[in-house]
Amino acid sequence: MNTPTVNQVKGFVDTERGLLDRQIFFSQEIYQQELERIFARCWLYLGHETQIPNPNDFIATYMGEDPILLCRGPDGRIRAFLNMCRHRGNRVCRADQGNAKDFMCSYHGWTYNTEGQLIGVPGMKEIYFGELDMDQWGLVPVAQLDILKGLIFATFDPKAPPLLEYLGGQEQELGIMFDRRAGGTEVIGGAHKWVMNANWKYAADNFFGDDGHHTITHMSVRRVPVDKRYYARTNDDAKSDERNSRLSLVPEGIIRDYHLKHLDELVERIGPELADRPGLVTTVFPNVSPNFTRHMIRVWHPRGPEKTEIWSYCVVDKDAPAEVKEAMRFHLTQTFGPAGNLEQDDMNNWVQCTNTARGLIARRYPQNIQAHLGHEDKAGPIGGGRRLRAFYARWELMMKAENWSEVDLKTRYF
Amino acid sequence: MINHDLWHEIHDFLVHEARLLDERSFYEWLDLFTDDVVYWMPERYNALDMTDPSDGVSKPGELALFEENKETLHTRVARLATGKAWAEVPPSRTRHLVTNVQVEPSETESQVRVRSNFLVYRTQLEHGQDLFVGTRDDVLRKVNGKWKIARRTILLDQAVLSSANLSVFF
Repeated sequence: MNTPTVNQVKGFVDTERGLLDRQIFFSQEIYQQELERIFARCWLYLGHETQIPNPNDFIATYMGEDPILLCRGPDGRIRAFLNMCRHRGNRVCRADQGNAKDFMCSYHGWTYNTEGQLIGVPGMKEIYFGELDMDQWGLVPVAQLDILKGLIFATFDPKAPPLLEYLGGQEQELGIMFDRRAGGTEVIGGAHKWVMNANWKYAADNFFGDDGHHTITHMSVRRVPVDKRYYARTNDDAKSDERNSRLSLVPEGIIRDYHLKHLDELVERIGPELADRPGLVTTVFPNVSPNFTRHMIRVWHPRGPEKTEIWSYCVVDKDAPAEVKEAMRFHLTQTFGPAGNLEQDDMNNWVQCTNTARGLIARRYPQNIQAHLGHEDKAGPIGGGRRLRAFYARWELMMKAENWSEVDLKTRYF
Repeated sequence: MINHDLWHEIHDFLVHEARLLDERSFYEWLDLFTDDVVYWMPERYNALDMTDPSDGVSKPGELALFEENKETLHTRVARLATGKAWAEVPPSRTRHLVTNVQVEPSETESQVRVRSNFLVYRTQLEHGQDLFVGTRDDVLRKVNGKWKIARRTILLDQAVLSSANLSVFF
């Protein structure tokens, strides 16, 4: 039997045969191209509206490796800028979140308001002789910003298609988590933030569609069910024929009871077909992954080809009773985050997958993403292995495309 | 006036606890907690105003790194014991160093507040190395003549953890 070698992979991604070139997980050149072609062009997730509810609220985040300030202006409008003083480059804000009317750079004192305008330059008269055009030296704004179901997205590419067009229909699927109740969702305070020495794509593709890892990676949780306080059983206890049915990913307990109680409202809001889905675990390309079952949204910030910074937030229905919100937060902490009983076991897998890929001999051999290949019809509504191939098809498309006209956004990548 | 006997007693307790953790005697470690224990590790972040020690620390009701009771601690230990909790296969080698121990007696003899700093050195596999440094604020209660931990608040001194996981105890 022939062992497939990298030379047989058509390009970096061969979706027809389900092969991946390992270079895409460690090559510095490919990573730099990802920053340019994916992170500088795609719509990226910045935060949730409820994290900055009041005028002059802000949070700090990242787009790719660029630090970003996400602000609500005094006019109530949400804007996003590079968190970088236009003078010499110091960060104008060192806090992760807060409320501030303006940001003064701690180096020479250039000061900006929450609309990004440069409003103060010490020595304007004596050093710049009044000739500095302050209108030209405001904080660098994102090219486009839009909000969908409370989720704030932005892109640095003025030519990127509008957010809804970019999502190509995925916005409907997001309703499963973000449009269940009239009040929408809210982020509960606090965040899990940590770093792993793994390529960002392992995590993003895992949430998008690696539904084959659960049984083995999270084997310990099948043997010792976690969170008996709120969940009578883990979703691993669900019979396989239940796995693809309504709410099957939400085991019995207070949270499932809550969802069942509001099922009519859900069906009315997002339609019976989506309401019947077991839940939502996905990735909005490239790097934000909502997880309905764990009440969480998270971003995989790239930090080089072999490093990823994970930011994770708890998201709940705003209209949910306090004890349900409490149960959701508690369940998230028990299962996910750096100490989560499930997630603890994910990171080392991705770290080692990244680590071995750089081996000289190892990289000659492609990775296998052939699950359900040729049997896509048996993959069920979650999509099975087809989704891994779809993720990398989208990745390759963005990497190759010189401009957006070459990016077919109508193809269903989700 | 510091009660040196009490201080030594508590110090010995913490050192004993550290040894149990480093020897991976996790079920014995569980016995050191009261049945109603609250074991909590909030998040750290950078706030604009950091004048109060509680600034930049997530509050009860917000997301935490650990939010445990006796049952969930037990679940965590039982999960490790399956041998299939891959984050701990092979197990981490840890060294829990406990220092700056301060004992504050309460109105009742059977309860004390204990503050301590810790440094947990963890290595794993070939090259894995993590340092977890922080402080603990404990309430110890005497149950049937033995000290037990009734409340533990752990502050790790990192905003963004530099470790792939928190599969060890503090």
